[in-house]
Amino acid sequence: MATKVAIIAANGGMFDAYKVFNIATAAAASDAEVGIFFTFEGLNLIHKQAHHQLPMPAGAEHFEEGFKKANVPSIPELVSMAQELGVKIIACQMTMDVMNLNEEDFIDGIEVGGAATFIDYAKDANISLSF
Amino acid sequence: MDIKVDRVVDAKGLACPMPIVRTKKAINELDAGQVLELQATDKGSVADIQAWAKSTGHQFLGTQQEDKVYRHYVRKSEPDEIKEEITFPHSVRNDELERLLDGEQEIHILDVREPAEYAFGRLKGSKNIPLGDLEQRADELNPEDEIYIVCRTGNRSNLAANLLTEKGFKNLKNVVPGMSEWTGSVERDEVKPLN
Repeated sequence: MATKVAIIAANGGMFDAYKVFNIATAAAASDAEVGIFFTFEGLNLIHKQAHHQLPMPAGAEHFEEGFKKANVPSIPELVSMAQELGVKIIACQMTMDVMNLNEEDFIDGIEVGGAATFIDYAKDANISLSF
Repeated sequence: MDIKVDRVVDAKGLACPMPIVRTKKAINELDAGQVLELQATDKGSVADIQAWAKSTGHQFLGTQQEDKVYRHYVRKSEPDEIKEEITFPHSVRNDELERLLDGEQEIHILDVREPAEYAFGRLKGSKNIPLGDLEQRADELNPEDEIYIVCRTGNRSNLAANLLTEKGFKNLKNVVPGMSEWTGSVERDEVKPLN
């Protein structure tokens, strides 16, 4: 049986984005089925504008140069790669309502669902991660 | 050393997970049995390519390092690795061939795997003609010789033995199961030392 990976992304910083999308693309490239549930600040990672300018953690701004030097792909690049590889992206409806956001505020090709949607997806996952 | 491959993926200068992502995309476009070379400078790729091969079921052949560039070799596996039936009537077991190799007598071994598989472990004195080239290159072999044909699991060597029989070779032996379970000594290409 193929590996199934379920990820919750609940934080909206630059480091959080790399953790989520590196694991997701590596898993998808290894033939795993991957779904990510974006909730609360995690919604930044798929927000049309916000995901282009995610904040570095306070005090870690100097790593910016390290990212460039290591030739790490940008977050928008990783997002489109993840989508190309078939990673399922689910935005949390409840958080969207709280933050007054609509589906149009996010990148194309996402699904919107509630907690039960994620639970239904994750119930037979081999790997569950939360970032 | 240069190894003939079907596809080269250049991921030099790219960080994790790009080398794996590029490999995945390229392997989708290959046919089963074809060999891919991944060039990367990411140190993590040494462990990652092996883990990736393990989880996807493709065959990791080996890694070479030259300066700061890693060259990883992977052979795309069959969709479900169904064993073809071995139809060639004359075969020898690995251990029989190993005993013959220890003897005085000169023997002819034909290895019909891909050059990259051959480079990372082969029988001493064997000659490499990949199965796909055998039709054109059969005249490099002497039809009168006794030839032991080997591959990874006995499938390709089976096809090679049948092909050469049609061409008039009379004294062929298919080595089973082949290099996948070979326990004797092997020879490999020299790896350049690290700088």
